[in-house]
Amino acid sequence: MLLSVEKLFKKFGGVVACDNVDWSIGSGETQCIIGPNGAGKSTFFQLLTGRHAADHGRIIFKGGDISRLPPFARANRGIAMKPQTLGVFPELTVEHNMRLTLQRHMSGAALRDAIEARLADLDLAHTLNRQARELSHGQRQWLGLGMAIGSNPDLLLLDEPTAGMSTAETQRTVDLIHRIGATGTAVLVVEHDMAFVRQLAVPTTVFHQGRIFASGTLSDIETNLDVQRLYLGKQGVAKLRN
Amino acid sequence: MRELLNGRIEPGKGPVFWIVGALLVIGMLFLPGLVGRYTLLNFNSFLLMVFLATGLALLWGFCGVLSLGQSAFFGIGGYAYGIVAINLADSPWASLAGVAGGIVAAVVFAALLGWLTFYGHLRGVYVSIVTLVVTLVIESFLNQTAGPQWKIGTAHLGGNNGLGRFSGAAENIPSLTIPTGGGNSLVISGSSPTFYYVLIGLIVFTYLLLRALVNSRFGVALAAVREDPDRAETLGYDIRLLQSMTFCIGAALAAMSGLLYVAWGNFITPSVFGVTANVLPVIWVAVAGRKSLAAAILGAVVLQWGAQQLAISGGEWALIVQGALLVLVVLLLPEGLLSLRQQYSRMRDVRSSSLKSQSRQG
Ligand SMILES: Nc1ncnc2c1ncn2[C@@H]1O[C@H](COP(=O)(O)OP(=O)(O)O)[C@@H](O)[C@H]1O
Ligand SMILES: [Mg+2]
Repeated sequence: MLLSVEKLFKKFGGVVACDNVDWSIGSGETQCIIGPNGAGKSTFFQLLTGRHAADHGRIIFKGGDISRLPPFARANRGIAMKPQTLGVFPELTVEHNMRLTLQRHMSGAALRDAIEARLADLDLAHTLNRQARELSHGQRQWLGLGMAIGSNPDLLLLDEPTAGMSTAETQRTVDLIHRIGATGTAVLVVEHDMAFVRQLAVPTTVFHQGRIFASGTLSDIETNLDVQRLYLGKQGVAKLRN
Repeated sequence: MRELLNGRIEPGKGPVFWIVGALLVIGMLFLPGLVGRYTLLNFNSFLLMVFLATGLALLWGFCGVLSLGQSAFFGIGGYAYGIVAINLADSPWASLAGVAGGIVAAVVFAALLGWLTFYGHLRGVYVSIVTLVVTLVIESFLNQTAGPQWKIGTAHLGGNNGLGRFSGAAENIPSLTIPTGGGNSLVISGSSPTFYYVLIGLIVFTYLLLRALVNSRFGVALAAVREDPDRAETLGYDIRLLQSMTFCIGAALAAMSGLLYVAWGNFITPSVFGVTANVLPVIWVAVAGRKSLAAAILGAVVLQWGAQQLAISGGEWALIVQGALLVLVVLLLPEGLLSLRQQYSRMRDVRSSSLKSQSRQG
């Protein structure tokens, strides 16, 4: 296993946001986490990156317990995240945003070329010297994605990567995720949008009230009546049947 | 190298910037020939504060840490210079040893305070409060060191009268002194043209060095720490280390000003740790624009000069006017006067693009 968590637990005041979760992902594997708003998906990510410290439980990454390491040390071991809040620096230029990720791995002309190449890949080459806040929401999503991928992580965490994207952009993101998966990077995606999850078609875990409610292949999940009732409501069930 | 100087982060760039800057420096070189010794003495006291101001700009404008206690390092640098130099009074190296002692003492103290503050996960206004409280504590401590038992070697701390012969002590704090070999020394008094040229040289050198620093990968990382420390950390940056390092650099610069101040005037009192002394650099940097090193330099010199003109004509009004200036700038131009230029160029862009679209329609 690349990463496994054991009995991971986190409470915010009275709210248990992560309730004794056991979960794992193998190298190069792509998985999905779904669940209603407030289910604890983003909290789970932030426990993995170290933004929040777990109350108890263990996080084993590449054979070592990282649950006491500060966020930067986890990042340097190969965990990268695109947060739900995009994770770009709005006041910095697009070039600086990309540079921040890439300058940790290269320098000089190689760095400059890599920045341009990555931005061209994301269709952002023409925005090089613009401040990130001047970009459209979709473009900022792409930039945030590009920054997360830029460090060539072993585990990539994507929190709602297609929020605010058009159908075409969503499709490109699906392709991108498949492409990253093919390079040997493990990818964990949190999503809200069922259409996207269906396009992705990877093993899926359902979170509810901080717990793992169900997990399995996408079709297991889709045919699970409890999941339908919980996550999608009555209309959702009807939608799923169509 | 060119990239480091002409920069990604520091806003001043382009041929006009460099030509105006070079002309300004060259023009400054003629000043000692044009003014009297008293004016030069004054001007030297303004120039020596530039290091304190650029250190604060680096820390606040580039790294996002507003220290209200830079005077702690200014004062420690100054006191350490005095104490070391008094103790080595017989050696030709007394003054230079004082310079080294002042910077080392301030950096060691900053490393300790920075470690406690940043590794204690303090942020924002809490850092400002801690730094201010620390400097005020040092002030009250030194104020009660009048008794004869408060001696470090031959240096008597002197309570609120401070250190040096002006405070009534027997020992004098030496001016900047450079051994020139054969038992001779060059003594550079605070009112001398040589002191002035040394300051100009040090300012140009420090400016170029800091410019290269903020435009380097370290500077790009600092910008990220300033904008969003948590995100910077998940990108793999050790933000507490970056903040502590910047804090130490800012402290070294403040100490530089402090020890030059003592070498300039041959005395120092605990009032250099006081509230006023801490707020003034914040005003210079905030008014001029904290995100530019050049603006911080100009702000420090011009505002000190302006305040002195006011003080000559109107007594205590100078402080009130400067305070009002700070409030106005914070309310109207949070990024300082420098942002006027950016707003102007943005307006010009908008106008030219709307003109273009009009002509396209027409
Ligand atoms: N920093 C925080 N402080 C307090 N409560 C939080 C914090 N972050 C999340 N929560 C709470 O934890 C629960 C899970 O939130 P979150 O992980 O954001 O859910 P999701 O991403 O699945 O929508 C919610 O009840 C939320 O209010
Ligand atoms: Mg969420």
